[in-house]
Amino acid sequence: CALPPRTAVSTNAPDLWSGRMALTVEGDAGQSFSGLFVLEGGPEHGNLALSTPLGTVLAALRWAPGHAELRSSHGVQTADSLDALLRDALGSTIPIQALFAWLRGDAATAADWQADLSQINDGRLTAVRAQPLPRATLRIALDH
Amino acid sequence: DGLKSLETFMQNTHSAQAEFTQEVTAPSKNGQAPRVKTSSGSFAFERPGQFRFDYKKPFVQTIVADGKTLWLYDADLNQVTERAQAKALGSTPAALLASAPNLQALTKDFTLESAPEQDGLQWVHATPKAKDGQLQSVRVGLRGEQLAALEILDSFGQRSMIRFDKVQANAALPASTFDFKVPQGADVLKQ
Repeated sequence: CALPPRTAVSTNAPDLWSGRMALTVEGDAGQSFSGLFVLEGGPEHGNLALSTPLGTVLAALRWAPGHAELRSSHGVQTADSLDALLRDALGSTIPIQALFAWLRGDAATAADWQADLSQINDGRLTAVRAQPLPRATLRIALDH
Repeated sequence: DGLKSLETFMQNTHSAQAEFTQEVTAPSKNGQAPRVKTSSGSFAFERPGQFRFDYKKPFVQTIVADGKTLWLYDADLNQVTERAQAKALGSTPAALLASAPNLQALTKDFTLESAPEQDGLQWVHATPKAKDGQLQSVRVGLRGEQLAALEILDSFGQRSMIRFDKVQANAALPASTFDFKVPQGADVLKQ
């Protein structure tokens, strides 16, 4: 189906997205998180910061070709790729590369993940990884 | 001085209701102008250990501490996060406001010192004793003996300034003020 034209979302310049993000991994609260997020850059170079509503940063993720770094209250973790780092830190991975496309309303594919872009013009996105278990749901609500 | 005002506030204000405006300033990177995000809503607390932030703008988000559990509800994501309050409060700014019954209890988690008067407010500078926490420092601003501001600087350099107004001290709060009911169909995440 043809996607409706993307309306410009005021606070979201092409390479800057902010809003709230929640990852729920069934039966594994350790891998789950929710918070306010700011996502900048793109799949090659970028960063993602996750904060509490009261304004304290929970985690700051940065990546560039050959290097990825996660700073959180547990200290600093590094790896030579974003996927490797997310797998170490979260035990599974969030499809950050596809996420940039989804947020622009482009239906990119990401291994194991199905994205629902039907409400992306209202700044809402849901992506589900049914397999491999445990089932994971990524939900995003963009700031208007 | 700041410490005297904070002590009087903690002794005389058992509960309160207020409106708040929050400005979060992300650390500016390589010379860019720092981004500021503003939100607002209502706030209430009752000693010991109960408080709630009801964010209304730009989105609906509720934080309720009922004395045992800290609940966070995001309406758009329809998700509730539930966390034992003891685990979450030790070094969070909320401890300063509500859950600590008196100054001495606060000194368990924070080193407190009076800071110079600024914007017409008396200030207390609080540094968390736990080194691995997310906080660098918290400053509490008081107008006379009443809470006026809370400034949080986290370990990433992000600053959050919460200003309170229309503060009604010792307001009679309905018993259910700090009861949190999980909304129908919301996802609950125990952490």
